[in-house]
Amino acid sequence: MKHYLSVYKKFVSTSISVETSFRTSFILLIIMDLFFFLSTVASVTFIYDHVSMIGPWQKDQLLFFLSFMLMIDNLHMMIFSQSFWEFSNHLKTGQLDYIILKPMSTIFSVFFRHFRASSLFNTPLFLGSLIYYGLKVDLAPTQWCLIPFLLILGLSLLVVIEFILSTSMFWLTDGIGINFLRMQMQQLARWPSFIYQGVIRKVLMTALPILLIGSAPVNFLFDSSHWPLLAGMILCLVVFSILLNFVWSRGLKRYDSASS
Amino acid sequence: MQAPIISVKNLNKHFISYKKSPGVMGSFTSFFKRNPITKEAVKDFSFDVQKGEIIGLLGPNGAGKTTLMKMFTGIIVPSSGELKILGTNPWERDKNFRKKIALVMGQKSQLWWDIPAMDSFLLLQKYYEVSDSDFNERIEKMSKLLGVKDLLHIHVRKLSLGERMKMELMASLLHNPEVIFLDEPTIGLDLVAQDNIREFIKDYHRKNQCAIIITSHYMQDVQALCDRLILIFDGKKGYDGTLDDFENILGNEKVVSFTFNEPQLNDYQILNAYKPQWSEDKTQVELRVCEEDLRSLSSTIIKNYPVTEFATDKMPIERVMKELMNNPELLKSQLV
Repeated sequence: MKHYLSVYKKFVSTSISVETSFRTSFILLIIMDLFFFLSTVASVTFIYDHVSMIGPWQKDQLLFFLSFMLMIDNLHMMIFSQSFWEFSNHLKTGQLDYIILKPMSTIFSVFFRHFRASSLFNTPLFLGSLIYYGLKVDLAPTQWCLIPFLLILGLSLLVVIEFILSTSMFWLTDGIGINFLRMQMQQLARWPSFIYQGVIRKVLMTALPILLIGSAPVNFLFDSSHWPLLAGMILCLVVFSILLNFVWSRGLKRYDSASS
Repeated sequence: MQAPIISVKNLNKHFISYKKSPGVMGSFTSFFKRNPITKEAVKDFSFDVQKGEIIGLLGPNGAGKTTLMKMFTGIIVPSSGELKILGTNPWERDKNFRKKIALVMGQKSQLWWDIPAMDSFLLLQKYYEVSDSDFNERIEKMSKLLGVKDLLHIHVRKLSLGERMKMELMASLLHNPEVIFLDEPTIGLDLVAQDNIREFIKDYHRKNQCAIIITSHYMQDVQALCDRLILIFDGKKGYDGTLDDFENILGNEKVVSFTFNEPQLNDYQILNAYKPQWSEDKTQVELRVCEEDLRSLSSTIIKNYPVTEFATDKMPIERVMKELMNNPELLKSQLV
């Protein structure tokens, strides 16, 4: 663990060195994240100007949910998002050769390699929003204590599903389609589960459980009788982690590398 | 005799790709119906390497050299056959195994492009858990030997190809590997840079006694570094032996060149048996002469023609290689 932490620390400092070499791009990424935050919050506020409830939730509840998801999104952008795009390039160009040669878990070497420092600048905004709407929905002290763990749980489930999807690039080679699919999946997960109905909802809660990422923890925070959802989320995380290890090792065996 | 550090038995690797006709129609057709093509990249390859050996793996483009290197390092998995490096199956990707090997690819970089090489070295230090004292000592030594001490803090993208390759070598050797795979480490470099890198590898090997497998298109690399040569043609091993034996593979012929004081316009029947190669201005001829005929032929020519210079040399390894590439059947008698 110490070894992994020391390498991760280097990943972070190396990524910061790379990212800050291009100042304009660095600032544009901060602005882009900011626009994304503002447009999401503004669109929900606009809808609530015309209705008092969406599904079972009032405005502050939905905005708390959105803040929770935006916080996960912020962590995802910071820790993983760049690596998904790089993985696709590395597979195509054969640069992956060097990465999988390193004496560490290949999943770690591939998906934790690029840290996006620009997202760190927006973290206070996302965190502030989560605290603000948490206060608005009157969370109890124990609920506040649970939030960090639930955020990590949500982020873990999201990335494990994304890792599995990305593993398919070993067979497909071109990763653009998969990366856009991943982004659309995140887009679906950004809304509470009750807005989806029928088969789609069932699929997105079980086979591809992306709706659990935000809905399970937030529903549990609002009403602890929703614990089965949270238990289901933890079960999904375990099952999908096992599946990830299996498909990843198959993917590595399938890897042909690009010729030089 | 010690157990081999690398043991390869009947190794095979095939790749499947798809045939695509050109143009839009071809794209649509291949979108719905693919015609798979199986390419046998490595066929029934066997050899052993002992500790401290330097082996040159030579062959034309597409012969399977890089595929072999990738199998040795565990990057790709063999289709069949046995492969043990340091007693381990490379494709199992054991972490201890990965700490003991290094790969340098002349056409790919492991350094981060947008930061100085030193930052990449520091990351590698953490990857391989190299102590600070060892790290500093190795960086100091290698950068001095390679003459890149002043370049360690320059962004990699600003370095020349030769400088970058020196940094790549340093990056690969920081963890003091037991087996080193060098895939065309001098490709595209000027003569001075090639020479620097060869000297560095030679020196490194002398001090560390590690096993090295090197692929290259440059015969000078092989001549300068290797004790043993393995030739690969179309995925198959063509020759495995010493460099001296390889040079004699076409027989005990020498290359003899004669320079004349004026263009020789007559057709010399006497030379025709020795595959003469005339210079454009007809003032120089190069002959391939077997050792037994060397004395008599040379004295005849010197006596009867206006010779100003005369030189004899072993058959250049490049020429042997070229001849074998054009006529791989010549190797049939050498197949191991």
